[in-house]
Amino acid sequence: MPRSREGGGGPPAVPRRTALLGGLGAVGAAALLSGCSPGGRSAAPVLSQGAAAGTPAAGGVLRIARPPASQAETLDPAGALSAYEYLGALYNRLVRMDADGETAPDLAESWESDEQGVRWTFRLRDGVRFHDGARLTSADAAYTLRRLVDPDLASPQGTVLSPLVDPGKVTAPEPGVLGVELKEPNFEFPALLTNYNCYVIPEGSGDAIGGTGIGTGPFRLESFSPGGRGRIVAYDDHWEGPPVLDAIEMYSMTDIQARTNALLAGQIDLISQTNLDFATARVVEASDRATIARSVNAQWYVLPMLTTAEPFTDPKVRKAMKLAYDPRHVVDVALQGTGVPGNDNPVPPGTPYWTDYSVERDPERARALLKKAGAEGLEVDLYTSSYDPVFTPMALAYRDSAAEAGIGVTVRNASADSYYTQIWMNKPLMATYWYTGRPADQLLNQVFRSGSSYNETAWSNGDFDGLLDQARRTRDPDRRKGLYQDAQRLVVDEGGAMTPMFADRLVGLSREVLNYRETGFEFDYRSIGLRP
Amino acid sequence: MLTFLTRRLLSAAGTVLLAALLVFAAVQLLPGDVATQVLGQDATPEAVAALRDQLDLNRPAALRFVEWAAGAVRGDFGTSLVSGEPVAGSLWLHLRNTLLIAAATVAVAVTSSIVLGVVAGLYRDRWPDTLISSLTLAGMSVPEFVVATLLVLALSITVPVLPAVVLDEASAPVGDLLPAVVLPTVALSVVMTAYIVRMTRTSVIDVMASEFVTTARLKGLGAWRVVVRHALPSALLPTLNVIAMNVAWLVGGVVVVENVFNYPGIGKLMLEAVHSRDLPVLQAVAVVGAVVYVLCNLAADLAAMALNPRLRTGERSAR
Repeated sequence: MPRSREGGGGPPAVPRRTALLGGLGAVGAAALLSGCSPGGRSAAPVLSQGAAAGTPAAGGVLRIARPPASQAETLDPAGALSAYEYLGALYNRLVRMDADGETAPDLAESWESDEQGVRWTFRLRDGVRFHDGARLTSADAAYTLRRLVDPDLASPQGTVLSPLVDPGKVTAPEPGVLGVELKEPNFEFPALLTNYNCYVIPEGSGDAIGGTGIGTGPFRLESFSPGGRGRIVAYDDHWEGPPVLDAIEMYSMTDIQARTNALLAGQIDLISQTNLDFATARVVEASDRATIARSVNAQWYVLPMLTTAEPFTDPKVRKAMKLAYDPRHVVDVALQGTGVPGNDNPVPPGTPYWTDYSVERDPERARALLKKAGAEGLEVDLYTSSYDPVFTPMALAYRDSAAEAGIGVTVRNASADSYYTQIWMNKPLMATYWYTGRPADQLLNQVFRSGSSYNETAWSNGDFDGLLDQARRTRDPDRRKGLYQDAQRLVVDEGGAMTPMFADRLVGLSREVLNYRETGFEFDYRSIGLRP
Repeated sequence: MLTFLTRRLLSAAGTVLLAALLVFAAVQLLPGDVATQVLGQDATPEAVAALRDQLDLNRPAALRFVEWAAGAVRGDFGTSLVSGEPVAGSLWLHLRNTLLIAAATVAVAVTSSIVLGVVAGLYRDRWPDTLISSLTLAGMSVPEFVVATLLVLALSITVPVLPAVVLDEASAPVGDLLPAVVLPTVALSVVMTAYIVRMTRTSVIDVMASEFVTTARLKGLGAWRVVVRHALPSALLPTLNVIAMNVAWLVGGVVVVENVFNYPGIGKLMLEAVHSRDLPVLQAVAVVGAVVYVLCNLAADLAAMALNPRLRTGERSAR
């Protein structure tokens, strides 16, 4: 099975979940329960690859356990506090991403730009209706886009789109045509609209959308309480036809152990937004009711070196840190094989713009580089936390591997509760991850471009920024791809981010569930169903 | 008697205020505030600034505390920083749910542990004592979340007779929550019973060796009557404090157990409030916890006075 990123613009960030107690609870449960799983913990991973597929029964109710973001979560897709699982069911975008990572039509049937990539025209699908019966027109699309770049809303995608989109130059010349005149040329513009913040909402509904959830998606909202439970039901007039299921019920559970117990006891059918640790995953897979499905390459693991902090201000030290370790070793130890080496390239393998460029591991060269940089016998602190079950194993595997190049790594555990406020972007070296599912252009611009607010390594490289600018202005797809690949090479050779691996997310689900496919947190809502 | 009560009530109020102040200060010391916690990795400077502004977090902390305290005295706990809803509404709902567990636990744990303690005391060093003592000791030594997990494994997964977690929200009717109360109650009772059993056992042994019990026996009273009418009232006296302490412990113990069962009680409310640094909610929970604690101790003292004539006369003669 080829490893390819599935479509869809995944959420841009690690979810805002505090997993301190949950994590401890899961460890406790796993330690207790592992005795019951055949094979125990010494066995090689035999976790199943994908979910069962087939023809599901018509109708049925799927019950999902999800971690509650907070009582502040809303159904507003543009905000920073959206309840992810609902979005893909309730809304559609203009452009979506298909299973190969290419842009594909959603509410827009087609789009084209002028020669410069400045004036864009999107032609909307005819006969699409919102859940309240109103007809979708380009006025709704224009409203959605203008709202995304509204500084008052502070949408996460606003930082990506604001440099491009002037709200005054978003027009709706005909009900079925949306016109956008960008501030600067960009041939990747449609890809930037595949993000989950870009779901189309009805014109003027901005203040109410957080509670009403009125969109054009295959399900409509029946009830929703922030941080609590909710229910969505099939929308029979959906433009692609109604979904298989009658309804989906969402339950919020803070504790990972509670979510797992609910699945094992048959109270729920699927656990969303949860990467189960290996011990728990084996327990789940060994049960009669539940099993594990892997969301392939769903998580991109990073060891960001802060390029503005000693000793990583020196490119030679950064290079040595990368040459020193063996990504294969990290994958084997931290992921027990459920992932692929990243070779320090943040673009997921198999996606359209990915380059297979990599630098062979060479501890001796790392040693020599450190000597040249005057940093022989380098000692660094590597921060990790229980926020994600893989952070600490990844850090320890890196430490052991880098020791062969004479680099002394001290792994330090920080509180999961405040990991992303105190450690991330504050400590020179730490362990973190992102969800994959972003187009390469957005990924490289958001996380690696000088001055971007998500630039976790604070790397600033004029050549890299120039390559991205040039790529965006380049009309020819092959040449554009080449420029993005050059940019990736710069990240591999000079950037501050070490990417040891891409990991599959281990999702717990009932054996009754058919056709589970997930990209980011968006399921294939139309096809997912239950066994007849 | 009245002065004693007044004095106790005043110190109780002081304790509650102090608890609120300490919790407020502790949350101020925690890294991050509600804006950074809620936004997580999306906490770009612009987004944090916008949210802080929206939530009115830019005023001095001391000022916010004084305003909150002034409201709390009038029964207004303010509005949650995260949900924007009044705190009082969800607080009482969650408290009601927790009291459901607490009441069931107290009833089950106290009754069964007194019976077991008396039996163990009467059969000192014989097999019923050994059995009861070692079982309760084991129950005491295992943390409540482990007991809870084992119960789920046995009664929800292997033999699915009871729900593993609660799917209902805080506002669910009591009737819907009742099946979900069973496992948390058992889990908490197992841990709580041990202390009371051991205390009861010790005092029963002491009392049974005392002169007035010997006198009662010499009067020719039946064993049952000696235990129930003569020994038990005296034996319960030292046990009362242990019971009170345990009821107060429940307030903390439920936090863990409620989260394992996803039970919508005060413990779950508290944990969520800590994670999101939702101060008004957290302080309301702290105050409620402190009030429960203080009331339990007060009740234990008063009950001890009611049961022990010496304490009552001592109070009178001091005047």
